Amino acid sequence: MARIICEQLTKRYGTTVAVDALDLTIAHGEFMVLLGPSGCGKTTTLNMIAGLEEISGGRLSFDETDVTFTPPHKREVAMVFQSYALYPNKTVRENIAFPLRLRGTPHAEIERAVEAAAAQLEIAHLLHRRPQELSGGQRQRVALGRAIVRQPSVFLMDEPLSNLDATLRLSMRSLIKRLHHGLRATFVYVTHDQAEAMTLADRIAVMRGGLIQQLDTPDAVYSHPANTFVASFLGSPPINLIEGAAESGGSFARGAFCVPMAVAVEAGRALTLGLRPEDVSAPGPGLTTIEARVELVSPLGSETHLEVLAPGDVPLTLRVPKEWRAQEGEVIAFGIDPARLHVFDRATEVRL
Amino acid sequence: MQATPRRPIAPRVLRGALLFCFSALFVLYVAGPVAWLVSSSLQSEAQITAVPPNWLPPLASLANFEAIFTAADRQVTYENRRQGDAATGGFLPSGAANLLPSLWNSLTVGIWVAVLNLLLSVTAAYAIAVIDFRGRRATLYTVLATRVVPDIALVVPLFLVIRNLGLINSLGALVVTYLAITVPFTIFILISYFEGIPRDLYRAARIDGCGHWGALRHVYLPLSLPALVAALTFAFLTSWNEFVFALVLTQNVQAQTLPIVISGFIMDFTTSFSFVNAAGVIAIIPPVLMAVVFQRYIVSGLTAGAVKG
Repeated sequence: MARIICEQLTKRYGTTVAVDALDLTIAHGEFMVLLGPSGCGKTTTLNMIAGLEEISGGRLSFDETDVTFTPPHKREVAMVFQSYALYPNKTVRENIAFPLRLRGTPHAEIERAVEAAAAQLEIAHLLHRRPQELSGGQRQRVALGRAIVRQPSVFLMDEPLSNLDATLRLSMRSLIKRLHHGLRATFVYVTHDQAEAMTLADRIAVMRGGLIQQLDTPDAVYSHPANTFVASFLGSPPINLIEGAAESGGSFARGAFCVPMAVAVEAGRALTLGLRPEDVSAPGPGLTTIEARVELVSPLGSETHLEVLAPGDVPLTLRVPKEWRAQEGEVIAFGIDPARLHVFDRATEVRL
Repeated sequence: MQATPRRPIAPRVLRGALLFCFSALFVLYVAGPVAWLVSSSLQSEAQITAVPPNWLPPLASLANFEAIFTAADRQVTYENRRQGDAATGGFLPSGAANLLPSLWNSLTVGIWVAVLNLLLSVTAAYAIAVIDFRGRRATLYTVLATRVVPDIALVVPLFLVIRNLGLINSLGALVVTYLAITVPFTIFILISYFEGIPRDLYRAARIDGCGHWGALRHVYLPLSLPALVAALTFAFLTSWNEFVFALVLTQNVQAQTLPIVISGFIMDFTTSFSFVNAAGVIAIIPPVLMAVVFQRYIVSGLTAGAVKG
C-alpha cells in the first residue's frame, strides 16, 4: 500500500530550477503518467521519488512516512529504465533474483519467485542467458521481471518503451497495463509519448518547465486542455490553433474566418482558437459551416487527413472518415460544433 | 567473372614485407636483451665474456643459480675473493648473500603495495566518480597535483620524515612511499573506467537494494575487472622496479629490495656477469608470472549488453 505525496517538491541544479514546487498526490494503486517534452522535469520528479536525486526543497512522503531524505535502497520502490539497466555480468535468472538476494530471501523462495515472474513475462526459456544475448524487447521484459519479483508497492518507470520498435511497443504497453491490473500497485510512469500516456494512465500530469500544466484523467486532459501547451501536446495530428480576436456577438474572427463561440468573451480580446482535427462533420443544423479548399489529401486507410485552407488563409488539418473522398483543389464544406471549440486567452494561453 | 585488378598486389606485398621487417626489428629490440639475459645466466663467466659471444649456452649449466641459492652458506671475505678469478667465475659478489632476502623483501613490499593500492584507490575513485559531493573535482585535482612534483625532489624531505618517524630500514616505509606514487595514478585510471560504466546500472543497483558498498561490490568491481587487474599489475611493477626511494630509505639487508642489491653487484670491485645475470633472471620471474596469470583477465567488452542495444 502506498500513496505518494509530493509537497512543494523542488529540484535545483545551481541556479536552474528543474522541478518547481510540485504538489502531487498519487493514490494507492493509481497509474500516474508524467507527460511532457524532454527537459520538462518529469524524469527529475521520478528520480526524486526513487531517491536517485537529492530533493532541494519540499517534502516527499509514502503514506504517512516522510522519505525526503531516505536513500533509494530503503524506499522499497522498483524501477524500470529506458536503457533496461540489466547487470551484464549476471544471467537473466541472477538479474531477476538480485533484489531478493540483497534482502536475504531464502533460496527456495527466490527460485519460486523468479520462476513465477519469468512465467508471467514469458521469458522462462531465457533464464540462463546473459543480457547481451537478448533482444531489446526481451531485455525490457527481464527488467520488468526484476521489478515485479519484489512485489513492491511503488513501480517507477522511466520511458521504458522508448528504445523499442513500434510493434513491440504496442505489445509491451498492454503487458504493462495487465501488470498494473494484476499487481494493484502504485505506478508512476514517465513518457513523452502521448499515446502511451492516454492508453495507460488513470491520471496524467502534463509537465512543462518543471511545472504541472494540467493534472487530470486522460479524457479530461484531451477534451478540456487547460492551456494551449496541453492542447497541442496531446492529439495526433495536433490540434489546429488559430490566433485571432473576439468580436461582438460572441464570435471568433481572424480576417474572413469567423465562427461563433460557446463561451462569452468581451469583444476585442486576443484569443487562440483550438480545433481538434476530428471535431468536424458534415454540415448540419446547429453547426457552423465552413468552406475550405483542399490542399493535400493523406489517406490512412481507416480515415483520411486533409490539409485545407479556410477563408482568411487559415490552414487547418482535418481528420475525416474515408468516405468523404475529397480531391485536392476541390472546395469542401464541413460543419463545426461551437461547443467543441477550445478557446484560449492568447496572452496567458489559459483556457477560457 | 571479373578479374581482380593486378596492380594493388605489389604494394600489398611490399607493405606486408615492411611491416614484417619493422615488427621483427621491434621484437629484437624488446626481447633481445631478455634473451641474452636468460642465455647468459646459463653460461659460465668465461663463456659470457668469450669473443665472439655464445648466443646460445654451449653447455647449459645451473651453476649460477646454485651459487645464488647457496650464497648464504658461503662467507665472502677479501681473501677468498682474491682466490676467485673473474674470468673463470668461482667468486661471489660481496652482497651475494643478500639476494634471496631482498627478493623476499621485494615480494613483500610489492604485494602489500598492490593490495593496499587497490583498496585505497577503488574506494576513492568510486567516491569521486559516483557520489556527488561538494568539492569532488577539487579532490581529484589535488590528488593528481601530488604527482606533478618529480620524485627526485621528494627524496630528501621524505628521507627526513621517514627518519624522524624511525622507519628507516623498514618495509613499511617503502610501502607507504610507493603507495604515494601509485594511488593517484590508479585513482585517475579507475575514475575514467568507473565513469564509463552506465549510470543506470548504478541507479538500478541502488533501487534494487544496494547501498554504496553494495553498488561498488555488485556493479563497479565486477564490471571493471580489467582495470583492477591492470592497476594491480601496475602497482606491483612500480614497487618491484623502484630504485631511488629504496636506495635512500633502506640501508641494510632487513629492508633492501632486489634492485638495490642487484645494482650493488655491478658496483663491486669486479663484476661477476654470470651471477648478475642469474640474479636478473630471478628478478624478472615474478613480473612475468604475473603477466601470464593476469593477461586473460584483461579482456574488454564486459559491459556489452548492459544498456540499450
